Amino acid sequence: AKPVAAPAPPKETKPKVPVIFSHLSMAKRISLQQTDKDVDPRITLLGQQMAAFVVDDSTTRTQATLLAMKRVLAAYSTPQGTTFSRHFTAHVLNPQIDYLAACRPMCFSMGNAIRWLKLQISKVDIDLADFEAKRALSEAIDNYIRDKIDVAGPVIAEKTNALIKDKDTILTYGHHFLVERTLWLAKESGKDVNVIVIDDPFNPVGSEFAKRLRAYGFGKIKYSPNLGLLPDYLKLADLVLAGAEATFSNGAMYARAGTADVAMYAKNMNVKFVSLCETINYTERVSVDSLTYNEIDPEMCTEDGVRLLFDTVLPEHIHRTINEMGLSEPSSISGMLRKQEEQE
Amino acid sequence: MPSAVPGFAPTLDSYLRSLKGHAHLDLTIQSLVDLLKRRQISGPEDCALATANCLRQVVAKSKWTDADTLLANVSRAGSKLMRARPNELVIGNIVRRVLGLIRDEATEDRNDGAPSETPSEGQMTPIGEMSQSFHSSAPTEAPRRPGPVGAASSANIPRSLSMLLSAKDVADNEGTISPFGNSGTSTPLHRTTNSQVHALRSEVINGIQEIIDEMGQVDDQIAAHAEVQIRPGDHILVYHPSPTVQRFILRAAQKRKFTLLIHCMPQPRGATGHDNYRALRDKLKSQGVQSIVMTTGGGMSYMSRVNKMIIGASAITANGGVVSENFSTIVAAAAKHHRVPIVVLAGVYKLSPECPYTQETAVEFADPMQHVDFSDGSLVHAVEVKAGLTAFLPANLIDTYITNLGTHTWEHLSGLISDHYAEEDVNLHLKAPQDA
Repeated sequence: AKPVAAPAPPKETKPKVPVIFSHLSMAKRISLQQTDKDVDPRITLLGQQMAAFVVDDSTTRTQATLLAMKRVLAAYSTPQGTTFSRHFTAHVLNPQIDYLAACRPMCFSMGNAIRWLKLQISKVDIDLADFEAKRALSEAIDNYIRDKIDVAGPVIAEKTNALIKDKDTILTYGHHFLVERTLWLAKESGKDVNVIVIDDPFNPVGSEFAKRLRAYGFGKIKYSPNLGLLPDYLKLADLVLAGAEATFSNGAMYARAGTADVAMYAKNMNVKFVSLCETINYTERVSVDSLTYNEIDPEMCTEDGVRLLFDTVLPEHIHRTINEMGLSEPSSISGMLRKQEEQE
Repeated sequence: MPSAVPGFAPTLDSYLRSLKGHAHLDLTIQSLVDLLKRRQISGPEDCALATANCLRQVVAKSKWTDADTLLANVSRAGSKLMRARPNELVIGNIVRRVLGLIRDEATEDRNDGAPSETPSEGQMTPIGEMSQSFHSSAPTEAPRRPGPVGAASSANIPRSLSMLLSAKDVADNEGTISPFGNSGTSTPLHRTTNSQVHALRSEVINGIQEIIDEMGQVDDQIAAHAEVQIRPGDHILVYHPSPTVQRFILRAAQKRKFTLLIHCMPQPRGATGHDNYRALRDKLKSQGVQSIVMTTGGGMSYMSRVNKMIIGASAITANGGVVSENFSTIVAAAAKHHRVPIVVLAGVYKLSPECPYTQETAVEFADPMQHVDFSDGSLVHAVEVKAGLTAFLPANLIDTYITNLGTHTWEHLSGLISDHYAEEDVNLHLKAPQDA
């Protein structure tokens, strides 16, 4: 009998993108059939959440990745005839990371965290017992999350709050949790602050943000669904706050598409633009143009239509960058990164 | 935008149809005022067309026996229309054009005596003449019609004693003022004979018809400049392209292979998809031109790819600023930052002698219901929601203006304005309304 021709393997359907944006990557949904068998179910779940933008901003993604890795680690036991530090990275960690990166291009902070994790694994003593190595790593991950994320956020909010004066008007674009935390803190510390929320028209997260601000007790909130009224609103504003997705070593800020427009206008109108970013989101890479690094929204992408998720705020438009170590001018970031590297 | 959708709501079409009936003049004016106020006629092109048609009725039907009464009638009706939509500058432009037309025809009648000899010769509509006079806009511009002295001395003018006086009056005035073509022509014209009234009426109506015809041809004439502006391989950016811009792009596509980026905002709540420009994109595709819809919160993210930005204007103010779609200010500022040249397309009838706006600011606000659900109490109650509809682009953002008369820089605009509007009418919007 003739062998029945096996059904052709499902073709790699790469979504079509206009040529001028074809260098940019984008998130994609990977069906369970296509998923590598080595991928842990917890990672599969996280990957799907990332691909669907449920877990969206870079800090949350990094934290979720580390926590999931911790659980992968807990479920792992080193096979006979090999050692933890040699086996885990190559056979367990890497497939998980490949999967996550396939679901959505990794953000810079995930890259930073995974590089750190691999370094920690490589440092594990070969003679250490499995359970001890796992416990030590687990603790290290917890400490990393605590220092770089859990503590960093409130510290940044506090430092930013110091810039806000009573009766100030703060303008912000879209929503970022660091900005929200800062405004909440300003309210808690008894300042009377007016807020202008300008929304990203394609991902209107700002309207919910405005409602939460109301719930925090802010009295005067203005909301505009797109940047159209930006010049009018900047006339009222004393300070622009924006949360960054990442910060490049030349001081440029990688953030929600439209932030660069806000920053440029703010600079033109002499309103201070302040970027908030944890050091975990800093990268030694350099970007001078919004199309060097970017991502395409998979929901809004056809052969002849594209939505870019991010843009790059040029350093000359940024007044100050605030991270958990303090306030810095964009030009001093490369020095700060070098110093940080030396410490590690 | 009013369209040919069948229904009972009045539109531009139904208004123009109603003009063919025998409605009372006041009713004709009032119904246009209402349509404008209710935005059942909106968009600069439609507003201009409706205004011109309405003023034609004023010239045809209102009671007047001399040019001054006619001027008064037209400016009274015109200021009503202007007040109905103060932000639509084209309405005022058309009113001023018609007033200038009447002044021209009236002086011409007086000077030439026999009006039938020179039908509508001194109007501003003929394109060739216009651009010619524009290019030779040196201060020593030659007078466009026979010198007043010669005309006055020709034997057949003074038909009555009063005509003799008024003709002389004109001759004196024109001799002293008026280095420019049209100014200084508002001297009172007293008694005119019936046939002269008749002749003036038909000439002015012809002139208005020429303005209307001009508006119909504007897009085509502007599109003629497309090949020069768009080069092969360019990445051209448009933001919500108006019909004028679409025509321009399509004309360029006949000759050039370029890429068009159409920046779009999301549709108002409730509507689905953002393919407003499917027809345009299909036509471009058949010409082998790729179009990309950009749906991005700001302009900075992709601007480094763009070679040129093309904006359709709703109006150009006297200082060179442009009234256009709301978000286009932001995109234009991003373009400016990336040194991308910005080209503005507008028919010359959109060039206004007024400049009511001076800096980047919203000209009109949009209906917030399009952006926020009214049932969303926590937002509606506590938060001030505002969105712009149109915005003002200051002149420093703009590199070139293309009208049906050619390509202009900022410096040329004042010349164009003085060519098209009589000096007396420039401040029409400031004059106190004669009846409220």
